[in-house]
Amino acid sequence: MEEMVRANYMANQSVNFSMLSENERERIYLAALEILERTGAVVHDEETLEVLADAGCWVEDNRVRIPSGVTQAAVNSAPSRVVFCDRNGERKIIAEGDKVYFGPGPTNNYYIDPHTGERRDPKKEDKVDVAKTCDYLPNIDYVMDLGTPKDVQTGISDIHSFDAMVRNTTKPIFHWGFDIDQYEDIIEMAAVVAGGMEELQKRPFIALYSEPTPPLVHSEEAIAKATYAGKHKLPIIYTPCVMSGGTAPATLAATLALGVADSLVGLVANQHLNKGNPFIMGGVYTIMDMNTTVFSYGSPEFLALQAGIAEVASYMEIPVFGTAGCTDSCTLDGQAAGEAAMSILIAAQAGANVVHDVGYTEYGSTGSLYQLVMGDEIIGMVKRFMEGIKVDAEHLAIEVIDQVGPGGHFLGQEHTSKHFKNETWFPDLINRQRYSGWQAAGATTMGERIIEKTQRILAEHEPEPLDDAVLKELDRIVARAEERERQRTKK
Amino acid sequence: MADFERLSEEVIAGSVDEVAELTQEAIDGGAEPKEIINQGLINGMSIVGQRFKEGDMFVPEVMMAAKAMKGGMELVEPLLAEGDTSTVGTVVLGTVAGDLHDIGKNLVAMMMESASLKVVDLGIDVDPAEFVEAVKEHQPDVLGMSALLTTTMLEMQNTIELLEEEGLRDSLKVIIGGAPVTPDFGEEIGADAWAPDAASAKDKVLELID
Repeated sequence: MEEMVRANYMANQSVNFSMLSENERERIYLAALEILERTGAVVHDEETLEVLADAGCWVEDNRVRIPSGVTQAAVNSAPSRVVFCDRNGERKIIAEGDKVYFGPGPTNNYYIDPHTGERRDPKKEDKVDVAKTCDYLPNIDYVMDLGTPKDVQTGISDIHSFDAMVRNTTKPIFHWGFDIDQYEDIIEMAAVVAGGMEELQKRPFIALYSEPTPPLVHSEEAIAKATYAGKHKLPIIYTPCVMSGGTAPATLAATLALGVADSLVGLVANQHLNKGNPFIMGGVYTIMDMNTTVFSYGSPEFLALQAGIAEVASYMEIPVFGTAGCTDSCTLDGQAAGEAAMSILIAAQAGANVVHDVGYTEYGSTGSLYQLVMGDEIIGMVKRFMEGIKVDAEHLAIEVIDQVGPGGHFLGQEHTSKHFKNETWFPDLINRQRYSGWQAAGATTMGERIIEKTQRILAEHEPEPLDDAVLKELDRIVARAEERERQRTKK
Repeated sequence: MADFERLSEEVIAGSVDEVAELTQEAIDGGAEPKEIINQGLINGMSIVGQRFKEGDMFVPEVMMAAKAMKGGMELVEPLLAEGDTSTVGTVVLGTVAGDLHDIGKNLVAMMMESASLKVVDLGIDVDPAEFVEAVKEHQPDVLGMSALLTTTMLEMQNTIELLEEEGLRDSLKVIIGGAPVTPDFGEEIGADAWAPDAASAKDKVLELID
């Protein structure tokens, strides 16, 4: 309790940051409503077209125009918070307000072998490693697969990927799926782990994930999942990859408006089937590099757009799927560290709720545990930074300053021993040794320490196992999927 | 005397109207159609290609230059003498069945057109039978297929198999591309070439035709 009255006193509980004003956020949202009402979108799924028509959209063939009132009703019915539990039903991710969580991303085409550093095709056993590493890292809150396994039957690599992950982490899993058939299996597996479908709905430890094809095209396999999630009362992340200059105008405001519009098409279908269904909008908004045509995961425009989408989603009161910890660099180097650090800091400052793609390298083509482990360290730094500076009588410590007086030191003060651990962050990988100490410890680079730590986690960390009965059920479902896939490919 | 240098400059600048005007002036002034193409339009476009490679020009500028060149071409082409052709080869392009992601393929088409290749773009969601139909109709030197999804890229193999069944495989070269498509995969399914981006796809196709 302070001793005196303070009038009109304001405290910053965290770092303040704003890319867009309230009016600008609203204007981008309204532009998205206008895009949907005027231009509309193409939807390649009969069932969803029926749902959208029933919701009040104007449907001509597969072109859907959405009256603003219909979109607004969906935005209003979408919950402002989405909670994810861990595999044991503990509430772990509370995606609401300005809360920020971090994790990796899905479906890279290549993977950096954590033992050899070689860039190669992802395998199922890599998913075991990804899950174990995420399970271990304190600043990674959930798991995605960092690469599509290519050593299993192609058509069910999503099922295999989930199978490997769910056995090796208790953290929530956000997972892609090719189609509804595969999702049926994945959800059945998740329900087995959760102890039944209703338990899974009440305490979801998975999210479904799909991506429309901007500008304003929704493939059957993308939007059917938004519809499916509504029917089955499961959280869905509906997240476009919007390419400024390519699949969107070259101006950043238009890129935001168009991407928001694409997320809203999924939202309208999803909410019409289940008002209040957990829905997370996204996703990756960035530029097409006009020299190489890559979809940049490290440019300053990417950073601005990531802050922008987080703020527009916050205005809409819908949790957002952010993007950070990634890089355009093809290897673990200074560029990779610099880009990851900037995006993680900005995602945190912008209040992006569920931030993905930590561990993405080579403009998203390659998944890397090295990048993930480095990201974990950076997130640690950023978390401390975001706590800001606490200002009150105890933290101003006038008494202590007076006791020590001019020329003294504070190392022996009770106040110091009471506060230094709470006020400071302790690095794991970052070097603060003196030169001689650093030399004596092997004169390693940050990169070498990251590789060493990654390999140590893989060798030593043992995630909590699942019960044998559950494992047997998972085996059965995977075997059934394999048989179905064999029959299908025979045809 | 037609001012080919200015025509090239306007192609480089991507000035659609100016290129059309200058081309028409050159035609009206009695310049040889072949010379208008080679010394004016193509000359400008090859400078664009060079500057793009060196990082001095960017994709949207290349796109505008190609558009300007195409406008000029449309005016000159009907005037070409029998046997003269403005193209170095024909490419049939498409994004495979089940796949709607085509920005990369569109870039490839643009790059190829700017290198005087005739491009027949079949669009998205093209199934093997449609590719084969187009091959029969247009008799291309090269067939190009793109995919963004690991599942749909298997359609490339189905298309190659159907080309074989129809006895068309030896009549053309096949090039493939798209984010999940690797050189190894290309080899596995019997494609002739793979390219990681639009500019190198164009280079590879020119090599294949050569």
